[in-house]
Amino acid sequence: MTGFLIFVVFIALMVAGVPIGISLMLGGAVGIGLGGLGWLAIPNNFYSGIAKYPLLALPMFVLVGAIFDRSGVAKRLVDFAIAIVGRGPGMLPLVAITVAMFLGGISGSGPANAAAVGGVMLAAMARAGYPPAYSASVIGAAAATDILIPPSIAFIVYSVMVPGASVPALFAAGMVPGILAGLALIVPAVWLARRNGFGSAEGNEPRPPFWRALREATWGLFAPVLILGGMRAGWFTPTEAAVVAVFYGLFVGMFIHRTIRLRDLTDILVEAAEVSGIIMVVIALASIFAYAVSTLGIVDPLARAVLDSGIGSFGALLAIIVVLLFVGMVLDGVSIFLIFVPLLMPLMKAYGWHPVWFGVLLTYMVAIGQFTPPVAVNLMVSARLAGVRIEQTVPWVMWLVFAMLVVLVALVAVPDLALWLPRVLGY
Amino acid sequence: MAASPSEQPGAGSSEPAPKRRLLPEDRIGAVLMALLALITFANVVVRYLTDQSFAWTEELSVVLMVLLTMVAASAAVVRNSHVRIEVLIDSASPARLRALESLAAVASVIAWLLLAGLGSRLAWDDFRFDVTTPGIGLPQWWYTIWLPLLALLLAARSMQRLVKLWTPKP
Repeated sequence: MTGFLIFVVFIALMVAGVPIGISLMLGGAVGIGLGGLGWLAIPNNFYSGIAKYPLLALPMFVLVGAIFDRSGVAKRLVDFAIAIVGRGPGMLPLVAITVAMFLGGISGSGPANAAAVGGVMLAAMARAGYPPAYSASVIGAAAATDILIPPSIAFIVYSVMVPGASVPALFAAGMVPGILAGLALIVPAVWLARRNGFGSAEGNEPRPPFWRALREATWGLFAPVLILGGMRAGWFTPTEAAVVAVFYGLFVGMFIHRTIRLRDLTDILVEAAEVSGIIMVVIALASIFAYAVSTLGIVDPLARAVLDSGIGSFGALLAIIVVLLFVGMVLDGVSIFLIFVPLLMPLMKAYGWHPVWFGVLLTYMVAIGQFTPPVAVNLMVSARLAGVRIEQTVPWVMWLVFAMLVVLVALVAVPDLALWLPRVLGY
Repeated sequence: MAASPSEQPGAGSSEPAPKRRLLPEDRIGAVLMALLALITFANVVVRYLTDQSFAWTEELSVVLMVLLTMVAASAAVVRNSHVRIEVLIDSASPARLRALESLAAVASVIAWLLLAGLGSRLAWDDFRFDVTTPGIGLPQWWYTIWLPLLALLLAARSMQRLVKLWTPKP
């Protein structure tokens, strides 16, 4: 009964538009009060929910995103990519997706990626004759690969919640699915452009000279090498890699590309602080909810009911995917993790799903949700930059969602797509 | 990664960002963010140059991160940029919108006041029993006292929202 009340309070408040963190906390508080778990569990769990050293990687990677967003790296990567593939119909969307994937190797959040790529590409794509709604769809979808390709804020949150899934292992596991997702997006993006004759004016645009473009892009090209290579080589922990990237990005932005001025620093820090605070306060408040739910033993009977229903591992997985597809339309990624991971953990153990693979799968669902209308954080950013409404993107974005779903099927069928790389790297 | 990016601050430099008024919380949050980056970076440098780590800074970083979270969350209350589901809010009539926004504000006030009250009991216990921190050995209440104080700030900011909702516009 208490368990039922927890969820009634939480869901009712959440649907009415109360902030997710507050809804979770008040639901948890009802459980702690009625279950007699001791009121001090509330401040204790709030504090211990975020007072974890590995979580420091989160604000640091948010800061990395805020810095590289302004560092001028995206523009130079775009020029370099155009210099390689040349001009022609369908080339700019290809460039947009590739650059978004590459930036995914630097930043850890989808909306920041969509802003960086959209800021550089949208005007160029409009000049070349791509409709804004199409361009916004491509960029919103491409930015979703960001949370799969390491570093990734989603993986950091998952790792803090799930024992047995370390950040380096998750980062490595996201690499192959992230690249596959990006490649899968290129197919419908280019096909749609060709079929509809978009980008016919693209051939008239100048092609940047290769060597100069390469020289300009070098600083940006080196960033993922520093971040991912440094972690791989054992030089840095994820948190340290992030902070090294912070100072590298500042150096490049302030002294090489000269796009960041001293007074921009305040804006960068304020923005990073607010974005981090918004995410981490939900983590803190959600841990009150998670404590109530797990201490009262509400989830285990639910898990047992699923096990006894005889739908099997595959059926359960399918059900989770369908539910998350819909939930992902209205909820953001971190909230999905905070609400669903505690509920799904017993199932994960019972069916023997690999925690790292399951984390990649959940993150993949979140990535799809980031550009599935009506509520889609990446698409919201790119559509606003392009000056179109979300509804206008539907005819284009649905093809891209479909392409991502194809890779999802592969990821479910062949867990090694995620697990191979961490195994080879020895995580 | 917010569900309500209507005022998503991560929207980047490329758009003509409306010049926003900096709150005191923004300035404190920016300072905390800079401190966290500097401490962690200093850690990396020192570890590579001298083969010794000052692990005790981990304790400090963690506390600064908790402060950052609550201070930044307070700024987000003022800007109404906390993560939430906006399906009902987007389609609501002005009267219903005010009702829903009021519910959100009241729920926030209750939650933060609860946390402030219980948090002060936690800090009081730490003070009474002379609990010291595991890393540096400082009195634990130097850290825990901020929990109720900042929760009070968050309650006050939420209350401020509620008052603003019901103040007739001139």
